[in-house]
Amino acid sequence: MSDPYGILMCGVGGQGLVVLSRVLGTACATEGLRAVTGEQHGLSQRSGSVSIHFRIGEGAFSPLIPLGTAEVIAGLEALETLRYVEYLRKGGTVLLSTLVMHPVTETAARIKSPAIPYWDVEKVTERLTAIETRPVPVDCRGIAARSGAAVAENMVLLGALAALPGFPVGRPSIEEAINRVFAGAVEANLEAFRQGTREAVPGF
Amino acid sequence: MGKTSLLDLEPGRAFLMCNEVIARAAVHAGVGIYAGYPGSPTVEILESMLEMASGAGFSAEISTNEKVALETAAGAAMAGVRAMVSMKSVGLNVASDTFFSLGYTGVEAGLVLVVADDPHAHSSQSEQDGRPYAPAALVPMLEPSGPADAWDVVLAAFETSERFRVPVIVRTVTRVNHQSGVVEVRRVVPGRRAKVHWPHGPARFVTVGASARAFHKAALERTEEVRRSFEASPLNTVERRGSRVGVIASASCGGHAREALRITGGEASLLTLATAWPMPENLVAEFLSGLDRVVVVEELSPFLEDMVIRVAGRENLSVEIAGKHSGHFSPALEYNADIVADALARVLRIPAPVEPARAAETAAVAAEGLPSRPPTFCPGCPHRASINILRTALRGIPHVVSSDIGCYSMAPLEPLVWGDSVLAMGASAGVACGLARVLEEKVVAIIGDSTFFHAGMPAVANAAYHGIDFVLVLLDNGVTAMTGQQLHPGTPEEQQPPGSRRIAPEEVLRALGAGSVTIVDPYDRKSALPLVRQVLAGSGFRAIVFRRGCALHSDRNKRRRGERIPVSEVSREACRSFLTCIRDFACPAISLDAEGKAAISPDLCDGCLECAALCPNSAIAHRKEASE
Repeated sequence: MSDPYGILMCGVGGQGLVVLSRVLGTACATEGLRAVTGEQHGLSQRSGSVSIHFRIGEGAFSPLIPLGTAEVIAGLEALETLRYVEYLRKGGTVLLSTLVMHPVTETAARIKSPAIPYWDVEKVTERLTAIETRPVPVDCRGIAARSGAAVAENMVLLGALAALPGFPVGRPSIEEAINRVFAGAVEANLEAFRQGTREAVPGF
Repeated sequence: MGKTSLLDLEPGRAFLMCNEVIARAAVHAGVGIYAGYPGSPTVEILESMLEMASGAGFSAEISTNEKVALETAAGAAMAGVRAMVSMKSVGLNVASDTFFSLGYTGVEAGLVLVVADDPHAHSSQSEQDGRPYAPAALVPMLEPSGPADAWDVVLAAFETSERFRVPVIVRTVTRVNHQSGVVEVRRVVPGRRAKVHWPHGPARFVTVGASARAFHKAALERTEEVRRSFEASPLNTVERRGSRVGVIASASCGGHAREALRITGGEASLLTLATAWPMPENLVAEFLSGLDRVVVVEELSPFLEDMVIRVAGRENLSVEIAGKHSGHFSPALEYNADIVADALARVLRIPAPVEPARAAETAAVAAEGLPSRPPTFCPGCPHRASINILRTALRGIPHVVSSDIGCYSMAPLEPLVWGDSVLAMGASAGVACGLARVLEEKVVAIIGDSTFFHAGMPAVANAAYHGIDFVLVLLDNGVTAMTGQQLHPGTPEEQQPPGSRRIAPEEVLRALGAGSVTIVDPYDRKSALPLVRQVLAGSGFRAIVFRRGCALHSDRNKRRRGERIPVSEVSREACRSFLTCIRDFACPAISLDAEGKAAISPDLCDGCLECAALCPNSAIAHRKEASE
């Protein structure tokens, strides 16, 4: 039995992580793939950290990704990717939105010690590189805005995911899933997804 | 979620959350009534039932609390109509009085209680293990493992309930409720709905004295019959391998156990138990025979393990049992495949995987100094303003805050750190009754509107009755906000569903005998502050209502109506970096810019102007140009 393909999705409450998961899962259903998730969003709308363990493959029994085995971390916010990096396999990929949302705790600490700089994308990618993972920053916000739906950052990230070599779910199934899941703004979301596949990971 | 109603999904493969599968199965089982009170991780069951109710022709309602929800469902089931209720772990504590009696009297038609425990206390006040409620009340309990078998488990629960005339618990954990997966969808065929006639003679459900003793005896006999029926339940799975080591897993831990076997490559037979109580003892005895060692995998207390130990003892089996008593597992926190693999490797005497430890160590180095991101008050949240007004009014006055369950439970956490106790739904006023009797400090109790209707009213009556000296602060945002802004009795009239009537919390407070009831708007700091100071200076039992709609809820309604949500900005010239808009306020939309001045993120700002009211330099105002 092959190892499941693990995607650790993360972000901040309200960024549309659950919808991202729902679209990918619906595409898995179309393709007849086994998929299972463990979702942490009980307090999702309170600007807190949220995560979804997304697993594809016959060996995916547990809803949680075993430590050090995820193929990719997909973060809708840059800092959050570091919070879940223990799930990533050695040499795995981190797709991170270039968006940084400063937690209230970080700003509170900076008022007390103004010399401490804010975290930024560069610091996150440095840390990720130092532990031999492959960070791929994606301008989800900019790409979403250009495709006509500013809130479609999640679909841009999904596009970037789908463009990874060896990604187990086909783009046509994902596009079909976007059609099925979204009640409105289907075209803009499709466009965001397509832009994500084209622009997000120019290296591939 | 999505365009299609859960009711109308076509047979075939679909990606669904376990909570959605549970709800669909209940409709297919023909429930006439669903009732519940929102609590994570069961909220999606409640919302799915509300979504399907009119299409399927059953009644679905948000009750004032779990006890009332259970009683509502029980009334229907007593009369002969199938019913379901769902609640989080601690909800059953609230409903337990009625629950125990129902274990005696039983029901006429199927009555299923979905009760969700929360190992790891992701969104609860405890890691309470609700399973011991089943043997304590003689109520059978089933457990699904996720979306794949939840349909079958819920249908079996209704069948068991009706066959043995007893309520049945479907017990879940957060990782089961909030697990989605690709499942084979079956068509939902709702039952026929018509009023029925009371099918019983007098006193059928009266349990007291002689009838209670008779009910108890019958319930004990019934339990043995249920146990026998569980022996052959297809919901339990046995996978025999040629090994003298076995694994017994609760259904919710079955996935972790299977995965651990895969990861370690270990050879062990596996029994997963969906019939959690009464345990099918013969099945377990048969599984144990021929084994030298068995690993019992279940989260929280050694509920299964103790029953396995009893069976092994009764059958004189010399099998080593690895579980909590042996130190292989902890009764705290939730499990995953790594934890189970580690224990399994020890029992199988094979090397444990090393990757998890390496990954965890590397990650700890990489994430060193990363700021935490706890859930916090949303931009525009009226609670943030209310709390700030209260703290300002209480400056210099020694005080103790008895708080409650809701979004405002976050106030005692970082970064605000204001508040002294949060115990249980409605406990704020009750605890304040005791505090006020013994403390020198001023006592303030804080309760939300939904929590007030849920379990706060008896304590308020007590405080008013005894004339206890404290201030009750009722944070009235019009919805049950924490769980997703559900409606409750105090929700504004225009948002109430047809047939529902608003009950004003201030009228209830007055009727319950509060010495004074002062209503303020937290967005109007200037007017609110002197009023709050005045009430705080008084004595006796008095109440302040902070009224302003939940920002998330209000913004959603505004967007629906096509109204523009204004955005605030900080004037670079006027800001003198006093940072009163950040200190003790902590809005996620406000951070510091390169010059150390406050900056508002237009993507997050709700335009509430709460921060503007705090700025001594009047540096904050709505942005002039039109924005989305």
